[in-house]
Amino acid sequence: MKHEVPTAAATTLTMAALTLKRLARGRVLWVGAIIAALPVMFGALLRARRGPEPAALGDLLWFATLLIAVLPGLFVASSVGEDIEDRTTTYLWSRPVQRGAIVIGKLVAILPILWVLVLASWAASTQVGAQLAPTPNALLAVAGGVTAAAMIAAALATLVPRHGLALTTVYMLFIDFPIGALPASLRYISVSHHVHTIASVRGRAADAPSLAAIALGVICVVWLAIALRRISRLEA
Amino acid sequence: MSVVAADRCSKWYGHVLGVSDVTWNLQGGIVGLLGPNGAGKSTLIKMMAGLLRPSRGTLSVFGASPFADVGVRRRIGYAPEHESTWDELTARELVTVMARLAGVPADRAPTAAERAIAEMGMTDAIDRRVKGFSKGMRQRTKLATAIAHDPDFLLLDEPLTGVDPVARVDIVDRIKKLAEAGKTIVISSHVLYEIEALTSEIVVIYRGQVLAEGNVYEIRKLIDRHPHRIRVECDQPRALASVLAAEDHVARIIFERAGVLIETRDPDRCYDQLAAAVLDKGITVSSLSSPDNNLGAVFEYLTGDGRR
Repeated sequence: MKHEVPTAAATTLTMAALTLKRLARGRVLWVGAIIAALPVMFGALLRARRGPEPAALGDLLWFATLLIAVLPGLFVASSVGEDIEDRTTTYLWSRPVQRGAIVIGKLVAILPILWVLVLASWAASTQVGAQLAPTPNALLAVAGGVTAAAMIAAALATLVPRHGLALTTVYMLFIDFPIGALPASLRYISVSHHVHTIASVRGRAADAPSLAAIALGVICVVWLAIALRRISRLEA
Repeated sequence: MSVVAADRCSKWYGHVLGVSDVTWNLQGGIVGLLGPNGAGKSTLIKMMAGLLRPSRGTLSVFGASPFADVGVRRRIGYAPEHESTWDELTARELVTVMARLAGVPADRAPTAAERAIAEMGMTDAIDRRVKGFSKGMRQRTKLATAIAHDPDFLLLDEPLTGVDPVARVDIVDRIKKLAEAGKTIVISSHVLYEIEALTSEIVVIYRGQVLAEGNVYEIRKLIDRHPHRIRVECDQPRALASVLAAEDHVARIIFERAGVLIETRDPDRCYDQLAAAVLDKGITVSSLSSPDNNLGAVFEYLTGDGRR
């Protein structure tokens, strides 16, 4: 019985199934759900303090972007970094698989969970805090933001596996967010800037939502390329 | 074609040497990789498994680089030294996933996993989570992940470490059966008798270098030609020394505070004569030990470091 080298698609699906099974049996999913509930509580708090006047969407989106800083690190950086740190990658990398497909498989499993958590949190917090249904633009912005942050988490976890979660959070909070607020072209490398632009909460006339979406896509591709390049060169 | 061909292969971790200038050809069969902890066994095995790239020189498996050539890795089964696995999974799930990643089609992977688990005597625990497994069960599960895709070449890194004696005999038998089935197997250990139970062909590795290669009995002779030390703590060290001093195999006797340290070139004869002397002279022995039972000490003798 001799077998063929598995296709990248087969490896991706196998890794996605493995990642989902591990998430379902671990604690990360529950911790993520609790963190995702915080913006809803924040919305309720704002609503209670302001009385009949609804909370501003900008304030709520600020809290939602905090989720974008934390949740991808918690799910993606932990998953990728732990395998490298715990040396379970030796099982994976000694198999006839493309290493990139291993990372893609993890992202395929984790991204839908992140989207559900962040979008549900955003929808619930705008409903509770501002008594508004979330706009399609804002939903797209949050989904795009969490996707880009997941790519950043994957790349940082391959670069510094032991501290992937911490580095992702620090990068998002102390580099990405401040850069995004700068009145300079440097802000175009910031995920949070594009999230606010697409959601039409912040930005200049020149920052069209469609261009911001393209820029967010470029950020995703660049960070994913770093992750794939790094994982293909790592030794166990 | 050689299964493994290493040509002046070296591996450094920064400034730390893992393996140095190894030239080695493996044609087939079962070969023991013997060396003390830190000797470079795992580094060599990882290079063969495609987990590490040589820093210098070349290493090929079935004629291809296992690091760069994905295809050649489908013919390799690797059981790592460490115990880390995805503990949330059951043995069945873990081995099935590994079989899938090794290229076994989805419809055949569960059967392949069941067969591999059965071959390792783990059927009773097949649906238990790895988290609750003993060391021996983990070793068996690791071996099952290595064989599930029916590889031609098995790399088993210290598969008997931490296993109880009964399980050890069982695992040795199962590994022998794999060799009888035509697999080429490289198995590492720092314990000589573990390797001897499996094969007579060994490669001795120490400080990253291949020190000796060939039949274990030849290497044993090489080891036995060097003085072997026996420390005896007893109530009559001078009486004991007077009996042994005349023997030609005794190189030196050193008196210590609570006994004597005997250096001999023939440990078996020395132990026999020691027992006879103790009985004849009525000597009370409180302790008998050999500093050379540590494999590292023996290797130091072989490399000459022990004389410095």
